[in-house]
Amino acid sequence: MTSLAQLFFDAASLGGIYAMAALGIALIFGVMNLVNFAHGEYIAFCVFALIVPSTEAVAVMFLGKAPAFLLIPVLLGLGAGAAVASEYVVFRHMRKATPVAMMISSFALGFVIQNALLAVYGGRPKAISLWPDLNTPVGVLGAQVPLLQLIVVLTTLLVVCALALLLKKTRLGLEMRAAAENFTMARLLGVRANVVITGAFALSGALAAAVALIMATQTGVADVRMGGQIMLVAFIATVIGGLGSLPGAVAAGFLIGGASVLLQAFLPLEVRPFRDAFLYTLVIACLLLRPQGLFAASSAKPRI
Amino acid sequence: MMSKLGVFDVSVRYGKVPALTDVTLHLEEGERVFISGPNGAGKSSLLGAISGAVATTHGRIEMDGHLLTGRAPEAIARLGLSMVPEGREIFGSLTVSENLRVGTGLRRDRGAVEGDIEEIFEAFPILGERRHASAGALSGGQQQMLAIGRALMTNPKLMMVDEPSLGLAPKIVDQVYDTLVQLQEERGLTLLIVEQSSTRAARVGGRMILLRGGSVVGDGDAAAFAEKDLLSEAYFGQSKAQPKKEAAQ
Repeated sequence: MTSLAQLFFDAASLGGIYAMAALGIALIFGVMNLVNFAHGEYIAFCVFALIVPSTEAVAVMFLGKAPAFLLIPVLLGLGAGAAVASEYVVFRHMRKATPVAMMISSFALGFVIQNALLAVYGGRPKAISLWPDLNTPVGVLGAQVPLLQLIVVLTTLLVVCALALLLKKTRLGLEMRAAAENFTMARLLGVRANVVITGAFALSGALAAAVALIMATQTGVADVRMGGQIMLVAFIATVIGGLGSLPGAVAAGFLIGGASVLLQAFLPLEVRPFRDAFLYTLVIACLLLRPQGLFAASSAKPRI
Repeated sequence: MMSKLGVFDVSVRYGKVPALTDVTLHLEEGERVFISGPNGAGKSSLLGAISGAVATTHGRIEMDGHLLTGRAPEAIARLGLSMVPEGREIFGSLTVSENLRVGTGLRRDRGAVEGDIEEIFEAFPILGERRHASAGALSGGQQQMLAIGRALMTNPKLMMVDEPSLGLAPKIVDQVYDTLVQLQEERGLTLLIVEQSSTRAARVGGRMILLRGGSVVGDGDAAAFAEKDLLSEAYFGQSKAQPKKEAAQ
């Protein structure tokens, strides 16, 4: 039977993935009022970067063969690079566009990335094995928990703390917080819009890469459609958390992960396949009670 | 001689609505100039056009011989222009001292920043006491002080202040102006201030430029404006039937 400790680690690790994905979306929304629906595709892109490009059913590891100390920084850099490049190619030209136009172009960008992956890697999901040892269970508080779950929980905490420190203690962080609250005023004080926005995209892309590493290890599957599912949940988390609020995105990510695991465990067997229907009912209830999100952001006003 | 700031035939429109039409004005180095006029006269649009926050549709703006028109606000700030905007626009989620630091990224003398922050805290002791408090919790007058301190931290040569008296008690407004005048004398700043009240401007002293309907309709010593009827004419047009007492407020 599933013990309480088991449930806790399931919830915390799933929530951690959602929280990191939601943070990636909230960071960019904070500085430029853009809901970047291509974020899920950054994650998929990073997962596929692990394997050799081919349409064969069997995946051959490419970047994934590198040792962890090399693989992790390279993939984080790749994720950051992809996000920054997409800002440079697409969103930079839309700075004066309405948030809706920007959002639609992010959808378009997402489709472009997804179809590029489809063309290069084929549509069939591929089994990949990245760090298989991490899925061996270890005993914690009487529960059998895969080592990876522990690592995910610790990584999430580490990432959240590092991001908080970066925002609180560095020049870029200060400028990002100022720009998130009032972009025009920050620019009037000499804060460079390009630096802040590029910085936000780079951080967001690196977060996507971290999520990609965890998902690839946990599920062992590379699927061109994998970005859509995580993007949906992460987007919901940013809305529930209060669009633009970083602590809100983290809290809501954990909340959704926790609710999902609890529903899975305690729903009667016959309705369990409809878990997501119950989950999204809770989401709707949450939004009815607090439409502005659990944590109202101070940045929810137009950019210019 | 080249003036500190030159605005030549500048027009601004929002969609089809003209906000400024062919405005020309000049500021000399170290001068204190008030911009006055009724609501909708284009005062804030003028400051927006100079700072780069608002796009111009016609004309050009120069500071120290540099063309400002078409530059991004952050590039204009780097040339030595700083702004205390209407409504102060404090970063409420940042602490008082973080607010002061936002504008220091453009400075080359990073080592002097800490000393300058202490100087601001000496000039405004209340800000020093609350340096770690969230700026959103400050009173209106304190926020005005913070907005001025924040603008000074960029080491500007020209500072623009939009309606420093807005929403403040008269006693606090006196303090704000005393501080501005003192700072100007210490630092040799050029000041451009939006001020609705000609009597207030006259008391502080300086030149006054009167805007109405997006055009310059008067330019002269602030004291002269306070005495004459020019301001109320600007507010109420030629119709003398309107009450005049509000104009002086």
